[in-house]
Amino acid sequence: MKSSFRAAGASAILALLAAMPALAADQIRTIDLLTRPQASQPQEFQSVQLIAQEWRKLGLDVNVRVMPWEQMSDIVWYQRDAWDATAWQMVGRPERSDPDEIIYNLFHSSTAENGYNFIGYVSPEYDQVAEAQRVEIDETARQGLVREAQEILAADQPNMMLVNPRQTFAFDNTVWNPESVVEQSGIGIRNTWTFMALEPLGERKDIILNSGDNVQAINPLYISGGVDSWVFELVYDRLARVGPDGLPQPWAAESYEWRDDRTIEVKLREGMAWHDGEPLTAEDVKFSFEAAVSGEAPMYAPFASNIETIEVVDDHNLVFTLKQPAASFITSSLAKINLIPQHVWEPIIEDLKTKEENAESYQEERPIGSGPFKFERWLTNEEIVLSANADHFNAPKAERWILRIVPNVEAALGMLRSGEINFLAEFTGDPQVLIQAAEQDGDLEVVSTVEMGFRYVAFNNRRAPFDDPAFRKALSSAVDRRLIVGAAFRGFAEPSNSVISPALEFWYDPAVFDGFEMGSDVAARQLEEAGYTLEGGRLHYPEGVSEEHAN
Amino acid sequence: MPHLKAAISRTLQLALVLWAVVTILFLMFRLMPGNPMAAYIDPTFTLEQQQALMAQFGLDKPLWEQYFIYIGNLLQGELGQSFRYREPVATRIWALLPNTLILTFSSLILAYTFGILAGAYLAWKRGGVVENAAIPLVLTTRAMPEFWLGMVLLAIFSFNLGWFPAGGTRPAGASYDSLWALYTSREFLSYLALPALTLAIYSQGLPLLLMRSNMLDVMKEDFVTMARIKGLSNWTVVVRHAARNALLPVMTSFAIAVGYQLQGNVVVESVFSWPGLGRELVNAVSASDYPLAQGAFLMIAVVVILMNLIADLLYALLDPRISHA
Repeated sequence: MKSSFRAAGASAILALLAAMPALAADQIRTIDLLTRPQASQPQEFQSVQLIAQEWRKLGLDVNVRVMPWEQMSDIVWYQRDAWDATAWQMVGRPERSDPDEIIYNLFHSSTAENGYNFIGYVSPEYDQVAEAQRVEIDETARQGLVREAQEILAADQPNMMLVNPRQTFAFDNTVWNPESVVEQSGIGIRNTWTFMALEPLGERKDIILNSGDNVQAINPLYISGGVDSWVFELVYDRLARVGPDGLPQPWAAESYEWRDDRTIEVKLREGMAWHDGEPLTAEDVKFSFEAAVSGEAPMYAPFASNIETIEVVDDHNLVFTLKQPAASFITSSLAKINLIPQHVWEPIIEDLKTKEENAESYQEERPIGSGPFKFERWLTNEEIVLSANADHFNAPKAERWILRIVPNVEAALGMLRSGEINFLAEFTGDPQVLIQAAEQDGDLEVVSTVEMGFRYVAFNNRRAPFDDPAFRKALSSAVDRRLIVGAAFRGFAEPSNSVISPALEFWYDPAVFDGFEMGSDVAARQLEEAGYTLEGGRLHYPEGVSEEHAN
Repeated sequence: MPHLKAAISRTLQLALVLWAVVTILFLMFRLMPGNPMAAYIDPTFTLEQQQALMAQFGLDKPLWEQYFIYIGNLLQGELGQSFRYREPVATRIWALLPNTLILTFSSLILAYTFGILAGAYLAWKRGGVVENAAIPLVLTTRAMPEFWLGMVLLAIFSFNLGWFPAGGTRPAGASYDSLWALYTSREFLSYLALPALTLAIYSQGLPLLLMRSNMLDVMKEDFVTMARIKGLSNWTVVVRHAARNALLPVMTSFAIAVGYQLQGNVVVESVFSWPGLGRELVNAVSASDYPLAQGAFLMIAVVVILMNLIADLLYALLDPRISHA
């Protein structure tokens, strides 16, 4: 009995298949969408819920998987074939104001196997543009290339860009003159320029600010946590600094000039000195760049590895010769490598060469730089104290810079109101709460700035259906970004369709967002045009494509 | 002779417990999902850097080899180097342990002093209005989550009344000649007050209820009746005779409570930005910083084991009827 039933069933299915060729394609499997937990990343979590809801309207079965960052990054980075889509974020940093790091490292095919192109986006056309912008010294020509790259990405949608969040900070305007606060484009008011410029109004002259994270290291040869960079950007000078407008400007260098596309002449400022009183010379500068590629500072090596030679002309003049032309050289090398005293570090590096560990594990008792603030003391997980370097060419107006570690965000806000801190340098809570608190208090000023960083959903371009640009584009179009801005970010974000933030006005291509159609009807139409079909409410692949990753 | 034998077997037991703790810690963190490399993922992170880091952290070797290296280092008193901070785990633990111990002991002394006195008083006044009100109150404080209690105290005493600072161990930028100078300063006490009070309120229920029920038991015993017959005053009977005997189990529970308290510190240290071992422990676990997490847990395990040992010895000392034979 049973076998005859089975035979009958099979022949019936065969007949159906013959009658309806559309059914030959497989149903799309359940799509996994990864996110971090609501407790640690409320905006990301809520964005993902909204996205999943919109995708389900298209006939997809979406499974939201919530996991901590450590687990999520382990899957995304080390199991590149094993996931479908994941929420992700890129934070803003001054050196990212040059578009090269994002344009090249995130999407060039050479970084697909082990680098940051973990989505596996491969496009020869894009590769060409990404390579061309690296070596184009002419700013206008390069601007055109960077915009072209953004347009290719907008057409291919390797990722689903969501928003550029706003960074919200606050300060006590009875302690600090609001006029002296500097808003850095894409970064916000918590920046080196503000800390140097803050002008005390009364007797309180110490900048007291908060951070939720511990300081890991204050080491000019180790790129550690984000908070650490607040400290070493003040203790160490660099030849150039990214200015409030997002463009690099001479800093410890009085000037620099391209002689040709591989040679740059640097003239050092006169009269600079290290915090221990020794003069800062061109030899120190040369040493700083060579230390990065000495093998003892692997994290800084990529920022100096393109340098072929550094010639010291005299005490204040140097000539850098590059292996290949590099348009981002000023931002990614001159504004990145910390200047360190040769008389302190040379013996340390020589000693480390004979040992297993490298300079990243070396913590100086008292870091010596030449920057606008001097290191005073560091209490483990409690506070860092820096004092103003009155001899600096851009001496701060405040007396001390005191960073307090406050893991409890509500307490940080309370401290700002009670005066225990006077600059809220990190606030992970709801910005509306902060604004309300400021209104009640009357002495607080809140400043919120569109970030250079961005939030997105990364598609695994290696795996069907995400290997199909039409499918990616439809899924991306399905979600109105204004919904994400309003519901998940409570208005504290700008909708986005580009990896270049609108804060970087020179590089940003407004056309990629203006021409971007959004909504579930748009997405449904795009899917239909690309051959995807709806059967019984579930989305199916176009004809001839079969499911290879069935759950 | 029996004493020596007991001491040897105790020591062997201790070594066995420690070895088990060390092994479980080693495996636990490595089997947990997550990857210590996660902290380094960055657009400029290259394959060479990844491999160099794995080698530097010793994670490129097979698990069993990592285990033997770890045990070998431990035997030499070496806890390894933190992945995250790139500094010796021991340095970091020593920097944070004093803060944790001072918070733990001050809150426990507060809790036990109050708990013992109030427990004895409630036993003495058994069956009155005071007892009817006090017991539910004690049970309520016992049920309050520490972070909630901490936030409430912060909101009232720090943000509204402004009596106490909200976090840290000292005023911003203040420097002291020594740890001793810090710990004996008035400022330090004002910073310690709220976190210690939070932990004390949370912990006083156990000694209080324990003291009370011990007292009620002891008061029924013959020697108390004897004392009363002798015509001693009520005060002398309760304090000199009953309370002294009822105190024994409470004192040993103090030793064990130190171990438990170290866990409670994790929450309170975060609420009050207290730079202690508990907060570091959470960071280390979530960042897959194996050496630091292992070291911090091991340190807590050692304190717990040590306090248990002291509790055992204390028992024998305070009550000669108990022996190790």
